[in-house]
Amino acid sequence: MSVSSSRKITQILDAELDKLVTLPVIWLTLISTFIINLALTIAFTSAALQWGAGTQSILKTGLASMGYLQAGFIILGILATCSEYTGGQIRTTLTTIPWRGVQLFTKHMALAIMTIPVAFIIAASGVLYAFMMMRDTAVAIEIDKLIKTLVGVTGYLTLTTILSAAIGAFLRRTTSALMVLLSYYFVVSPLVRDFLPSSKNYFPDTAGSSMYMLPSSDEINVLTPMQGTGVLLLWTLLFIIVAIAFYRKRDA
Amino acid sequence: MLTINNLVKHRGTQEILSGISFTARPGRVTGFLGPNGAGKSSTLRILLGLDRATSGSALIDGKPFAELHNPLATVGAALDGFGAHRMRTGRAHLRWIARAAGLSRSRVEEVLEIVGLTHAAGKRVGNYSLGMGRRLGMAAALLGDPKILVLDEPVNGLDPEGIRWIRTFLRERATSGKTVLLSSHLMGELAETVDDVVIIHHGKVVADGTLEEVISNHSTLEEAFFALTSESAGGVV
Repeated sequence: MSVSSSRKITQILDAELDKLVTLPVIWLTLISTFIINLALTIAFTSAALQWGAGTQSILKTGLASMGYLQAGFIILGILATCSEYTGGQIRTTLTTIPWRGVQLFTKHMALAIMTIPVAFIIAASGVLYAFMMMRDTAVAIEIDKLIKTLVGVTGYLTLTTILSAAIGAFLRRTTSALMVLLSYYFVVSPLVRDFLPSSKNYFPDTAGSSMYMLPSSDEINVLTPMQGTGVLLLWTLLFIIVAIAFYRKRDA
Repeated sequence: MLTINNLVKHRGTQEILSGISFTARPGRVTGFLGPNGAGKSSTLRILLGLDRATSGSALIDGKPFAELHNPLATVGAALDGFGAHRMRTGRAHLRWIARAAGLSRSRVEEVLEIVGLTHAAGKRVGNYSLGMGRRLGMAAALLGDPKILVLDEPVNGLDPEGIRWIRTFLRERATSGKTVLLSSHLMGELAETVDDVVIIHHGKVVADGTLEEVISNHSTLEEAFFALTSESAGGVV
């Protein structure tokens, strides 16, 4: 890659990051996700303490809200791409950066750069709260397991955000993308898991969950964290490729 | 130089453009006229690489828009609407554009000053009036100090002072050798601003020439426009 091209990509990446950080609705989503996740963790921790913390894992309690937490990151991903279609901003984007494939891919990169630290902080805050409340009573926490789990959660939330952004770019409308993704994650996937037990591990959400959840002893055919990462990564790349292919061909 | 050559655009079964051809030359202000739905915006969108032509070409100095090395410094474009997210401030909107093109923040302040929007730059775009939105669009178009301006209805929503400013500004751009292509439905304004006129109707060019040639034996540009776009009119002037 020439110096000029790499400089141009850096400029586009800066611009895409700028778009994200100057959009109030992005901050509103992140702050709401943080607060709601903490509130849920407080509730789950309180319940765990009431029911006897001696048998409860700090990690499991700190991450008990993951199912709900991912909704915030799905919304973040959708907003990042669908916001282009508010106020005709897409026209400005494409007359400033007419290289569509590069622009959309760079937008996903910018989103990942923003999501990684935020996902880590939000997930860690829940675990930290559970640790502070349960350290005297619960099973001792192993530091390497804690770090691996938080890295796994961060990876899962980041890939889920990127995947949601790709679907948002494909559908272009915030409401449609929200309906499709929230229906999948909260209705379709939980229902289909029971009907397709052999392939359930290869869904984006179930495969992704193995990035941070330790398999329970009664479950067989569960993916390892690396396998889970690979499967979710493939889904994410697939959706990015499809989104870019349509983005390049369609009228803006 | 902008060169539109035999441009055809189909949308579904409908033919939006049926072989549009014209040029917009440096040092001239070219007015692009037509009734609503005639195909003006479609032509401009194809020229700017936003829509794909079914056939034909729309070139900027011989290249399609997507092949321009530095688009913002080559073509400044302001289409209908604000072109900005309603929740972002005007200044933040211009800053991300400047960043994408490697321009400084001081250039953002310069264009805000040029279009008279400095006082409202910290407001969210959703709170802008139509005129302020047009000024923001102009500011974005001017960021890269481009040699070509493509403007869709630039005076729409502007107050008399704004209209006067844009007229003078566009004339100055053309005088300094730059290319200006603008669409408008305000004939009076256009007649005072343009050197060349292209009129389209039902996706076809019905007149293309200097302002004097297009007005020809009609009393005004408006008269010529209605004569050329009435259903009975035919042939290219």
